[in-house]
Amino acid sequence: MSRAMDVIDAHGHIGRWSAFAITDGSAESLVAMMDRCGVATACVSHLLAVGPDARAGNALLLQALQAHPGRLLGYAVYQPHDPQGPERLRDLLDAPGVIGVKLHPEVHETALDDRAYTPAFEAAAERRRIVLAHSQHGSPWSDARHFATVSPRHPGVPLLMGHAGLFPQGFRPAVEAAERCPDLILETCGSRMTARHLVRMVAEAGADRVAFGSDAVFLDLRTGLGRVLLAGLPEPDREQVLHGTMDRLLKGIV
Amino acid sequence: MTVVVDVNRMLGPLPHDDVPSRDETGLLAELERLRIDTACVSHAYAVHGDPRDGNGQLGLIGDRRLLPVPVLVPGPLGTGRWTGGAPLARLCPRLHGWSPTGPHARGLLAELAASGTTVLLARDEVTAAEVRVLAAAAPAPRIVLTGTGYRALRELAELLETHPSLYVDTSTLCGHRQVEWLAERYGAHRVLFGTGAPVTDDAGPRHLLDTLDLPGADVALIAGGNALRLLGGEP
Repeated sequence: MSRAMDVIDAHGHIGRWSAFAITDGSAESLVAMMDRCGVATACVSHLLAVGPDARAGNALLLQALQAHPGRLLGYAVYQPHDPQGPERLRDLLDAPGVIGVKLHPEVHETALDDRAYTPAFEAAAERRRIVLAHSQHGSPWSDARHFATVSPRHPGVPLLMGHAGLFPQGFRPAVEAAERCPDLILETCGSRMTARHLVRMVAEAGADRVAFGSDAVFLDLRTGLGRVLLAGLPEPDREQVLHGTMDRLLKGIV
Repeated sequence: MTVVVDVNRMLGPLPHDDVPSRDETGLLAELERLRIDTACVSHAYAVHGDPRDGNGQLGLIGDRRLLPVPVLVPGPLGTGRWTGGAPLARLCPRLHGWSPTGPHARGLLAELAASGTTVLLARDEVTAAEVRVLAAAAPAPRIVLTGTGYRALRELAELLETHPSLYVDTSTLCGHRQVEWLAERYGAHRVLFGTGAPVTDDAGPRHLLDTLDLPGADVALIAGGNALRLLGGEP
């Protein structure tokens, strides 16, 4: 299937991870894959920053953004246990290509509605940036209920619910949270998501509340993209998910 | 033209979701939409109900694009000898409560090896140690590990390197370039297109197939050539 290169991947990474082998986590490998399947832009964080070292990982992110301007946009990881986290984040959000904040409540063992994240949301609000947070149904850190609690505290801050609950039993609660919270956007990546689930999600939440994400290089960009390309979606909804929702969120940022 | 064979598919209703493939008509519509020529199907009754009931449903399949895959259980309370002649069988030891390395299993696997039947074995149905025992048996049937997930690449590398009778399907092999990595290192003949649908996604793996960064001949093997070879009983 050929299409104009207009897809925006809302949730990606560069780097490597502890629990399994990523054979090539370089920015170059990701961009080559984007070229292969028509993805114009990927919004990424660095896995070193998600994991053990936010400071070093965020520095590597900036290097990658500089090397691939326009193709890679960045989420700076906010580490809630770093005493200097708030001021570091403000500086990072002013860097070219940084479009938002990445939160990972599971890794940081801090619930999304914990006040430890308030500086991150406040920095995003001040600079009109996006927040992307990992979600996981049933988790004590990142269940849909945590999103439904924290999002209304920060009106106007777009909050991407990464994985939209992650597990199939979490997709419905994710949609319900989106119905209650106008700033909440459901992002589609995850190995448990199917095209069938995606079609339901779009029908229930509305395509303008759903954004395509792949989780590459954690996951393969092509499986997440194919799920959207081959799902039984109306074409306008497909386009909205593939880039329309992120086009809107990125307006004024890039 | 590349033939596409989904080696890992299920027909019938699921207890936890409403799926188009609840009946044969719905499944065929899904296959046509995704340009999948043939699917090797076990019946959902045989996985989520009693395997004997589900295997009985396979006889009702009318369309030649659907190749029946019985789900087998060894021992006196099992499914008994399968006489349907299927070249592919599925085993679910954990789900169905039997030991994959016990004497009943050894008997069944020896029979399958002798008849040239290939085994579909979901990765979450066995431990890696059990896979090693099964693959080291003499004789051992060919085993296609399905639903391996994206986190098991190190483990898969060791298994494929050690046991030439092991293969993998692509259903949840969804880490960055993992299909290419395995095909380049262990040979495209070890990798088979499969989806695990409807439990796992079919659209993503199908698109992956269209965009693999491999020579066309290797893609053709993964898409269906390997499955046709194994279904034909060839090594």
